[in-house]
Amino acid sequence: MNWKNLPGHIYESRMAGCTLTGALSVACFIPGAVAVVHAPEGCVHQTFSMLHAMMNDCDVSQIPEIIVSGIGDREVIFGGEDCLTAALDRAAALNPDLIFVVTSCVPETIGDDCGAVCSRHPSADKIIYVPTSGFLGGSAKDGENAVLTALASCVPLSQAVPGTVALIGEKNLESEADQNYAEVERLLARLGLRVTVRFCRGCDAATLMHLGTAECFILRDDRCRPAAEAIGERFKRPVIPEFPGGLSGCIDFLKNVGHACSIPEEKIASAVQDELLYQDQMLKKFSGLTKKTICLGAEPFAGTSAVAREAMERLSMQESESGFPVKLPFYLPVGAAGVEKMLYLWRRAVNNG
Amino acid sequence: MRQIALYGKGGIGKSTTSANLSAAFAEKGLDVMQIGCDPKHDSTRMLMHGRWIPTVLEQMYERKDLEMDDVIFTGFGGVRCVEAGGPEPGIGCAGRGIIATFQLLEKMKALHGDVVVYDVLGDVVCGGFAMPMRDGYAQEVYLVTSGELMSLYAANNICKAIARLSQRSTARCRLGGVICNSKNMDNERELVAEFAKRIGSKMVEFVPRDKAVQAAEVNQMTVIEHAPTSPQADVYRRLAGTILANDDLRIPTALDLDELEKLARAYL
Ligand code: SF4
Repeated sequence: MNWKNLPGHIYESRMAGCTLTGALSVACFIPGAVAVVHAPEGCVHQTFSMLHAMMNDCDVSQIPEIIVSGIGDREVIFGGEDCLTAALDRAAALNPDLIFVVTSCVPETIGDDCGAVCSRHPSADKIIYVPTSGFLGGSAKDGENAVLTALASCVPLSQAVPGTVALIGEKNLESEADQNYAEVERLLARLGLRVTVRFCRGCDAATLMHLGTAECFILRDDRCRPAAEAIGERFKRPVIPEFPGGLSGCIDFLKNVGHACSIPEEKIASAVQDELLYQDQMLKKFSGLTKKTICLGAEPFAGTSAVAREAMERLSMQESESGFPVKLPFYLPVGAAGVEKMLYLWRRAVNNG
Repeated sequence: MRQIALYGKGGIGKSTTSANLSAAFAEKGLDVMQIGCDPKHDSTRMLMHGRWIPTVLEQMYERKDLEMDDVIFTGFGGVRCVEAGGPEPGIGCAGRGIIATFQLLEKMKALHGDVVVYDVLGDVVCGGFAMPMRDGYAQEVYLVTSGELMSLYAANNICKAIARLSQRSTARCRLGGVICNSKNMDNERELVAEFAKRIGSKMVEFVPRDKAVQAAEVNQMTVIEHAPTSPQADVYRRLAGTILANDDLRIPTALDLDELEKLARAYL
């Protein structure tokens, strides 16, 4: 079967896994939290094998705490609410800070009232119920959004603390996440801002509860937009739609974040000036590429060729089908650091012929 | 082996008809099995003298090493009685329960004898409740209906299921006829007979409303056992004879809703 011929949403959801994959990719990586999956064991096995492959890729060796209710034929016929209660009991016995409850297709199909089970459990105040519903609830990104939104709705409203921002939707199993984060921190420092909450990457429950203190929320990328919109709306604060892409992206980012956090215009202008100088310094390291002719391969991720062409222009490089073949990065390069990494790879390709 | 399924709207009297039919078959010396496919598990009670027998699903999930004696109980006239059981209303999936029951009975090689009567809840024909019609189990379906529009509506829906399932290579199910279980309505016999004709079948019996049925139920017996000489017992015996002699099995054509309503209005 040619997957590409399938209608868009089917293609996307089948390739990305079901909502459980997305939901667990967030819920499993919060220190002190336990994820309860109300599903047949097979759902968790298949979901976890995907997560495991991603964890290997990202050198993550932490084994997440997942408890599966283990719906079987009996539960399909008689209802699975009791086995969810038993799973919640097991989760509560571990005395976690939070218990996430995510659901598969099966309880949705047979009509278990999982919300009611969660709310009458003795640990109800720790439970965050996320009705993900397997494929019935969409794809992995919907699962991810659902957990972020549900978690945010438990965070208390509070006054914004000046000079602080929160990041939303960095993927727990994203390659280069730490480099990207460092780049965003570098840019924010130019404006005198600091990141207080990474929602949710490596943050424990107590830290996550400070989400409402951020002056503005910076979204990792468009995939978590529904959650970010809900968060922005709940706390009535601005949301920056994505991490900066490429060189001019850094400049736009400084301006947008600066305005969102009410930074004085002169400070924003000086941050922009410093950044342009920084970028020039960085590009100087690649002066050997100046006037070189390269051939960009296919664009693996929307926007990567625009970022690449901008860097080429700043280095006075040419593009031609007969040029040195180089690869575009698999993901949109974040900030100047992303561009720098791309240029290293190009230089290696050009130097090695 | 004849495999007969009685379908019809809830409360129409399928269990009473099935139990009396099984009793009448047994009286003829046949080896009969009755399987109740309704989570209410009240199909075989009158054959079992009021005893609620343990259901297949209850047993299946309490014990691993189930044997035939755990799920098959002998009632009046030696009729082997089985109740599928199922969830409480509002939870779980009863249809899946019916499927699981059939899989177990099949595994036990319990489906044998001269006649198997399946008593099936019929206003919800999801795949699970259609199970007796599938895969060669119930080969003859009898629709139990009164002249009330809603019971005709349920019967009509089952016609759709039979027509659909008859296209499957493994299904051999056909409609044997319509049983009118009277509610004492005016023109009821004519209406049900006309309905049967319009769907391409025939009315095989008109079962009058009779106090003998209530009297038997109060005494936790079938009419055949409680009032064997009553005219109502003879009605059930005649029905059993008609069914045994019936070889006119058809694929029905369901009416559309407008046509069904028009028909019901015409006999008001
Ligand atoms: S799609 Fe449904 S059945 Fe499949 S893994 Fe997801 S939740 Fe389980």
